[in-house]
Amino acid sequence: MKGLTPRRRLIKLSVIVLACTLVLSACSSNNSGTGSTDGNGNSNANSGTPADTANGPMTKYDPPIEISMVRNLSDVVENNVLSVLEGETFEDNRWSRIYEEQLGIKINYDWVVKGNPDSDAYKQKMNVTLASGEIPDFTPVDAIQLKQLVDSELIQDMTQYYDQYASPLLKDILEQEGTAPFDAATYDGKLMAIPETGSNMESGMYLWVRTDWLDNLGLEPPKTMADVRAISKAFTENDPDDNGQDDTYGLVATKDLWGGFGGLEGFMAGFNAYPDIWIEDESGELVYGSIQPEVRDALLALQEMTQNGELDKEFGIKDGAKVSEDIASGKIGMEYGEQWNSIWPLQLNVNNDSDAQWQAFPIVSDLADNTSIKVPLKFRTTKFFAVRNGVENPEAIIKLFNMHVEKNWGETAEFDKYYAPPEAESVWQLSPVQPAPPKKNVEAFRAIAAAREANDFSTLEGEAKTIQEKIDSYESGSEEGFALWGWERIYGPDGSMGIADQYDKNGQYLLDKFVGAPTPTLVERQSTLEKLQNEVFVKIILGDPIETFDKFVEDWNNLGGEQITQEVNEWYEQTK
Amino acid sequence: MKVETASEPVTSRRRKPVDWFAIVNTTFLIAAAVLCVLPLVHIIALSFSSSAAASAGYVKFWPVEFTLSSYEYTASRDEFWRSLWVSVQRVAIGTPLTLLLITLVSYPLSKESHVFRLRLVYAWIFFLTLLFNGGLIPTYITVKELGLLDSIWALVLPNAVPVFSVVLLLNFFREVPKELEEAAFMDGASYWTTLWKIYVPISKPALATLALFSMVEHWNQWFDGLIFMGSPSNYPLQSYLQTIVIQQNLANLTREELLSLAEISDRTLKSSQIFLGSLPIILAYPFLQKYFVKGIVLGSVKG
Amino acid sequence: MHLMLLPGLIFIIIFAYIPMSGLTIAFQKFIPAKGLFGDQTWIGLDNFRYVFELPSFTQVVWNTLYISSLKLILGLVVPIVFAILLNELRNQLVKRSIQTTIYLPYFLSWVVLGGILIDILSPSRGILNEFIMMLGFEPVFFLGDNKWFPVTLVLSDVWKTFGYGTIIYLAALTGIDPGQYEAATIDGANRWQKAWHITIPGMRMVIVLLAVLSLGQLLNAGFDQVFNLYSPQVYQSGDIVDTFVYRIGLLDAQYGVATAVGFFKSVVSFILISVSYFCAYRFAKYRIF
Repeated sequence: MKGLTPRRRLIKLSVIVLACTLVLSACSSNNSGTGSTDGNGNSNANSGTPADTANGPMTKYDPPIEISMVRNLSDVVENNVLSVLEGETFEDNRWSRIYEEQLGIKINYDWVVKGNPDSDAYKQKMNVTLASGEIPDFTPVDAIQLKQLVDSELIQDMTQYYDQYASPLLKDILEQEGTAPFDAATYDGKLMAIPETGSNMESGMYLWVRTDWLDNLGLEPPKTMADVRAISKAFTENDPDDNGQDDTYGLVATKDLWGGFGGLEGFMAGFNAYPDIWIEDESGELVYGSIQPEVRDALLALQEMTQNGELDKEFGIKDGAKVSEDIASGKIGMEYGEQWNSIWPLQLNVNNDSDAQWQAFPIVSDLADNTSIKVPLKFRTTKFFAVRNGVENPEAIIKLFNMHVEKNWGETAEFDKYYAPPEAESVWQLSPVQPAPPKKNVEAFRAIAAAREANDFSTLEGEAKTIQEKIDSYESGSEEGFALWGWERIYGPDGSMGIADQYDKNGQYLLDKFVGAPTPTLVERQSTLEKLQNEVFVKIILGDPIETFDKFVEDWNNLGGEQITQEVNEWYEQTK
Repeated sequence: MKVETASEPVTSRRRKPVDWFAIVNTTFLIAAAVLCVLPLVHIIALSFSSSAAASAGYVKFWPVEFTLSSYEYTASRDEFWRSLWVSVQRVAIGTPLTLLLITLVSYPLSKESHVFRLRLVYAWIFFLTLLFNGGLIPTYITVKELGLLDSIWALVLPNAVPVFSVVLLLNFFREVPKELEEAAFMDGASYWTTLWKIYVPISKPALATLALFSMVEHWNQWFDGLIFMGSPSNYPLQSYLQTIVIQQNLANLTREELLSLAEISDRTLKSSQIFLGSLPIILAYPFLQKYFVKGIVLGSVKG
Repeated sequence: MHLMLLPGLIFIIIFAYIPMSGLTIAFQKFIPAKGLFGDQTWIGLDNFRYVFELPSFTQVVWNTLYISSLKLILGLVVPIVFAILLNELRNQLVKRSIQTTIYLPYFLSWVVLGGILIDILSPSRGILNEFIMMLGFEPVFFLGDNKWFPVTLVLSDVWKTFGYGTIIYLAALTGIDPGQYEAATIDGANRWQKAWHITIPGMRMVIVLLAVLSLGQLLNAGFDQVFNLYSPQVYQSGDIVDTFVYRIGLLDAQYGVATAVGFFKSVVSFILISVSYFCAYRFAKYRIF
């Protein structure tokens, strides 16, 4: 007992100290917590340089400045970059060094969260940070958070800084997806954050088909929706894998219905149905794709296919990862997905069965001319860099952007050092800002295709060169190369990127027309409506009467959809 | 020694030739145990299988294409060992602290109201926190204002007094025969002495239970690690594992993220880390079981 | 004795009562970026009104009550039965091994179990359904059928937690004087009588206690489990208050509404616990705390 008393006293003491600290700091945060964080100015105290003297897109700050940011640490960076690079850490690496040495910008991270920026942990961490009133100098946010920051008047207008400091190269890159990324960050005519333009094109859909099964059954690749239905039926019923068992499916779907792998957007597009995005009707008004009658037709078709056993009757409880097991074990003959599907999960199938072969085909419809089908695209710019009020060098973020694109795609680019050195191909992700040309992948394909045509690969450089090396490795037939099958399926002669190239040249892309911040009713009702939609759609595909769809359209409108449509159109008017 | 004296009469009193109940009972319990162990066997089997077989769902309860590569990989990860160490620290600090605090709190609260007048008031003050909580944002701000962010204390202190355990312990304390305490008071012992010399030794099974609960709680918590730690190098093991096993939203992955999904987070690796990550806490139970032996309370009282 | 309470009290005040000020969020149109003490808009009970007017909310509350009350009952009974059965085992080694084994599932997270359950419970390929078909019944789509989904949730949850639940009863059993069993044997009591008259009364305190405390959990049907097992197909029977809050709070970023629902849950728990607390006192003359 004697031994315990002092320990207890110690604990008690420290607890009291803690309590006092708390009371004191709670008071202080009460005083300053009214939204203005200027008083916190923790990091830019030494930035004595006025903005005027540092006026070039990449002029160095002298003396150097320190800025604070927050960010995520992805699996890729942790496993494929940091673990193979000697002497570099997340805080101190080739990117942080070049920013410090050439721009005089030292970056400190207030916090780092493991995971992707759309993970729950990252969102929660961002929310508590915002709520605690101490936001970093430069904050990467999504559209909802950006709106909140604007409403709270915590961030600066970046319009003039962007005009003044963005290098021509950066402007070219960020503006390649049109004005939409900037519209999304513009409030009352002011650019309130710098968008890190994402590639919409990457969300285009392809029809991936097991061509070894086609050959086995003597079928031709699909040209029309009728072909797709016929192939699906044959893959299901005619034992394409010759194992004597009825264990194959024509097509896949996941419980989420949409998405980059096994998503039904591509199938629906064959019916001119564009669920989940806003499209323009004949009168020029925006309407929601999911409630259009074409979706009804597509659902009916899917229902028939499910009843024929062409779709797994259990798909309604399986997510993409679970469905990938069916792919890996060779049960699936076709799937709609994005251009990378061959790397994952189709490669899993090939790893287990080296005879398996997949190929991407353009999505089809029953239109006379397949090149006129629209390929729906989601708006992929989801990251915006907002700058806190009171930061003295708001243009620093643009300088980081400038430097990033310059070192990767500019005249002084050092691709093998800053973008993708062979030992750590994702090195560019060490940089806290990662603007990239949205069409870089299809451009790489075009370069490779041209080289293939000319039969001279020596002219390739940068990413195209690295990719071609992968294809060469695959074609060499080595064991290592076998793991690169997925790459050959994307950039090889009949790779998915060739189709992207065609889509692009034919002007087939149909972008989600609503890219603004969520409207008030959208914020209130989005998840309710989304849940309703997916529940109804899944159930119809599994056999609920198709009339449920008509009821859904009615419910959707009554539960706020009508209001949302109106708000979205008001926004659309403004941006025209 | 007390253990043996206590359990001997129990074993000696059945000498029937065939005890059908015992056979049925044992069989039933073993069947239940098998049902409980199978998923873990499956996970272990996965962890020793090749990733190709695992990705196609071929692995059931025995490894397919046996390999140790996932364990070699896991063992080579600094992150894994670092976060394991954080978890060990967390349990090593958190559990003793919790035990001490709940013992101190439970003893006065176990008294009758006429002995300790404000008992009921205190009891409700504690109890209400089980029902109402402010939510994530204010808790985060509190921890932040205390300057605990990024330290092991952020994981240990906020839940240092689990009220559920307090309620349990105070009820166990009530079961302690009053005569023992009265005898101690007669000898001039204070409340403090009585608590440490009589209540604590006699409540060993209860304290062992609560120690186990506390260890399990500290070991399994992953959310607070993600929120209160500003750097992944400070994550406890379960936070680290959570970032690996969590289901990725495939719709929003970039191709680079996909590459890692294909290469890194394959199922064999996940399985080996899940297994290794739960091993220490699973082993803690058999170790604590020695405090659960029947009759120990009685033995010590009589002794 | 006040001194003994002090350290615990301080912890409680700092980490529970001070953050409770955040409950004010329930009455605000809360925007995180404005800060907890910032210039938020007060909207009175609008958040509560909004939730109760949502057409799906009643359904969600019913689902929650249905799932959690079943869990509550089975979660109480099954561990007690196992504790008694384990108590009957004579071989200490077997007893301990079984105890440890049934405790294992508690340590597997639902993320991991989700994938395994889909395989085991599959109507076309799952082991369980093969067994059901062997017995001559139609296969059951446990995870996709609205009739079966809540049952599946309850049973899988009981399976996962019962081993862990028995620990506390086993601890209570250590308090029973073995002499009582001997005396009963001499009086000619059989196994059931001994279990009924000695073992169960020995656990009475813990049983009452856990019953009362778990009543407070009546609106918690287990977020992690449901979140990892449900799908659009079974929203109708499987969507619970916590998954609802998740969508509203994290996906839609309506923190005010999410906090309001949390507050509503707390109030309901408070009422339930208080009632059972006084019932336990009145009828069993037992104050649980």
